[in-house]
Amino acid sequence: MVDQLPNLGREKQMLAEMGMSSMDDLFSDIPTGVQRKVPLDLPEPQTEEEIFREAQMLLGMNVPVNSRPSFIGAGLYSNYVPSMVPMLATRGEFLTAYTPYQPEVSQGFLQAMWEFQTMISELVELPVSNVSMYDASTAAAEAITCAVRVHDRKSTQKSTIYVSELVPPHRMSVIHNYTQGADIVIKKIPHGDDGLLNLDAAAEAEGACAVYVEQPNAFGLLDEGLCKLKSIIGDNTALIVGVQPVSLGLVSPPGSYGADIVVGEGQPFGIGPTAGGPIYGLFACTEAYIRQMPGRIVGLSRDSDGERAFTLTLSTREQHIRRHRATSNICSNETLIALMGSMHMALLGPEGLESLAIRNAGACSAAKAAIFSIEGIESAHPNGFHFNEFVVKLPSEASKLLQYLDEECDVTGGFDLSNWWPEYDNQLLICTTDQIDIEDIEQLAEGISKWLEVNA
Amino acid sequence: MSDLFAFKGAEGAGYAQPKPVSNEFNIPTKLQRKELPRWPRASEPEIVRHYTWLSTRSHGIDSGFYPLGSCTMKHNPRVNERIVQLSGMNDIHPLAPASHLQGLMAIFHEMQEMLAHCAGMDAVTLQPVAGAQGEFTAIRCIQEYHRDIGEEHRNKVIVPDSAHGTNPASAAMCGYEIIEIPSQDDGRLDLDALRAVVGDDTAAMMITNPSTLGVFEPEIAEAAEIVHSAGGQMYYDGANFNAILGKTNPGLMGFDAVHYNLHKTFSQPHGGGGPGAGPIGVKSHLSDYLPAPLVTAQTDDEGYLWFDWFEPPRSIGKVQQWHGNSGATIRAWAFYRRYGKELETMSEHAVLNANYLRHKIMNPSTEILSSIHAMPVDGAPAEVVKHEFTLNMTPVKEATGVTGKDVAKRLLDYGYMAPTLYFPMIVPECLMFEPTETESKEAIDKFAEDFLNILAEDPEYVKTAPHETPVKRVDEVWAARNLVLRHPLDEE
Repeated sequence: MVDQLPNLGREKQMLAEMGMSSMDDLFSDIPTGVQRKVPLDLPEPQTEEEIFREAQMLLGMNVPVNSRPSFIGAGLYSNYVPSMVPMLATRGEFLTAYTPYQPEVSQGFLQAMWEFQTMISELVELPVSNVSMYDASTAAAEAITCAVRVHDRKSTQKSTIYVSELVPPHRMSVIHNYTQGADIVIKKIPHGDDGLLNLDAAAEAEGACAVYVEQPNAFGLLDEGLCKLKSIIGDNTALIVGVQPVSLGLVSPPGSYGADIVVGEGQPFGIGPTAGGPIYGLFACTEAYIRQMPGRIVGLSRDSDGERAFTLTLSTREQHIRRHRATSNICSNETLIALMGSMHMALLGPEGLESLAIRNAGACSAAKAAIFSIEGIESAHPNGFHFNEFVVKLPSEASKLLQYLDEECDVTGGFDLSNWWPEYDNQLLICTTDQIDIEDIEQLAEGISKWLEVNA
Repeated sequence: MSDLFAFKGAEGAGYAQPKPVSNEFNIPTKLQRKELPRWPRASEPEIVRHYTWLSTRSHGIDSGFYPLGSCTMKHNPRVNERIVQLSGMNDIHPLAPASHLQGLMAIFHEMQEMLAHCAGMDAVTLQPVAGAQGEFTAIRCIQEYHRDIGEEHRNKVIVPDSAHGTNPASAAMCGYEIIEIPSQDDGRLDLDALRAVVGDDTAAMMITNPSTLGVFEPEIAEAAEIVHSAGGQMYYDGANFNAILGKTNPGLMGFDAVHYNLHKTFSQPHGGGGPGAGPIGVKSHLSDYLPAPLVTAQTDDEGYLWFDWFEPPRSIGKVQQWHGNSGATIRAWAFYRRYGKELETMSEHAVLNANYLRHKIMNPSTEILSSIHAMPVDGAPAEVVKHEFTLNMTPVKEATGVTGKDVAKRLLDYGYMAPTLYFPMIVPECLMFEPTETESKEAIDKFAEDFLNILAEDPEYVKTAPHETPVKRVDEVWAARNLVLRHPLDEE
């Protein structure tokens, strides 16, 4: 504490200048009835060294995904983040800045965010991107409320949106919380046994405000049918597509097949899974949604000498101006993590992105080959196309296999889909990022084989 | 001028990666990407230099005094950054088994307890990732509580006109009608105005204390009584919690729910706009509604502590997919451990510095005073302020034509971040100052001197400020009218 407060020991002097004699004088305005009478019951202050040692001890009890073969993804992906990224992003001028309300002294940050908007715009092939949402779930939820504001007047299914039934429950829960206040009706679009969206059923969404689907979906499947979706639902229904951004090194950007809004988890660019936060949500859209979109946006401008300059723009959408009529309550966002993503993307470049996507997809092909050659193990979607995740059907509960792999093989085997949908209790979602090598895959396959033998 | 998109190295330039496990992948033909995004092609030294250049054109707390009121721009201890970069934090997956996350959960549990204790609440969730999301989450809990007890007809949320914009925005997102009540002439909460609007339709009142004027609301307990008598809930916007740790707490004031801004009180760096974190605390009658999961602690047969996830029985579900901004929770833990029970001293120094700065500005020497065109007046009359204060710059504007914004821009020339401008809206020509506890007496003295000096400068020079920043005054109207929201790559 003593190394944090520059005026410790000088209180008396400063108080005297103000004609006061004690710190209590500064709190004389707190009525007796609400004063706290006893000191805070908290530990003694610690030094940096003591805190660091304890943090190392406590966090050392966790099992990082990169400390052993780990096949757990399900929305967060462990990609290698170049060393440059955390080093530059934690420069104090970035780390300790506030929202750039004073553009004259914030040109660097503003330019970096404008560059971020450009790279996301290029990645998804839509003209506009904001500076970040909290995560993929709030990005999806606010895309839905944004689309309702834009389309409701002309819609024939008032305040109604359609969502793929494979949007995971934790994301659906966020969507529910964000949409219930506007009385938005959410209808589900079913998927077939092949895991792909039922396009006939999707046709019912015509005249609604929006359709939200994910590519790849929660089973890791790439769905070609989504390319037809926009023509099925029509111009006055927003097509919102959730993406895993790394996949876009190989997979068509949703803007090219008619998406009006693209959202997703930016996390694989810039930061590790970090227990699920801070990460950042992507939000990109066509021009039609600009005035109803949430979040901060940077625009190019001019200074009083006519020189090129950047500034936050379209702030009349925002809560600090529009208050209860704002498009969103978002204020603090995830700018610094988006900056880290920007640095990562800039360093990768176009071909680096493609290589990264190939590493993810190549490991997926190798893992599928190794695992589906094991007798007794089946693919849940034998004809499916996958980017870096796929579902394995097991002869018994996935939870038991995961426990065996964890305890006996030091392998984190994937995600038990029954955590999301109880009926899938023998299905395991396996993810392969660029951090998976052939030995990891062999260890997983070997572990599964051994478990089958033990349980035979 | 460094332009990221001017880096056009050879194909494949950029980040070198290991060979893939396999070159085989299967993407349906129609879904294969035809053209790669036109990202820059640059080597590491070029990218490092680009971002370093950008950083030199940004201003953080590290660059200079940052008296941005309401935002609590305090120093960010660097060990906190080192801690979150440990692999045991950066590389852990929230869906991993609880046995892989015991260290994280231990810290979560300690933070739940600590935050509840400091605010006088019974239960805490760490999930909301920003103050605004904390507000939203708490109002959602109140909404579900009212539905459960048959009070779903309560459809109005009351906010004072001095409230942060997020308060009405968050309540509106939950579907509430907003009732804004005027403050008294001195900026304090007007109990008569409150009495006039509460009723059977009141769901909640949202208020911050100390208020956005930096003044402690003397009648806060009476306000809580009025709202509770009408059957409403009291919500505490914790944006100004930094001022009162150990002195009072929202529980004592009669609040039912509160959010904490870990990026204000607990020093999570602001990062140019985020990440923040907005955990909420609630009294027991609302605890069943908190977002899932919370962390619980049990002692196992061998006497070891074991932490587990726990879903409150009537949980509203989730507001962020995972466990919120865990990294902010960890930093806040490291921050609070540094002060421990002396968090009270932290608040004392925040208040000391704010009062001292106010005193220095408002009591210039006769010599300086004689050179000044006009002095501002207090935004709100008060013997003492808490962690921040407001100035009404109207007298300056009337005497010289220099606006609050002009003074704010001129401060940039002196190497300072400007104070908060034109907020709260109830103070005309408002500048709001919050020095925080981590500024030295010397830095505050110098700032006050420079501020007063600006009031003595040639008004024409101040009106055209800034003069010494990387760019001159930026035309915000041009940006909104032209909407150039990305780099026009093709035109280069």
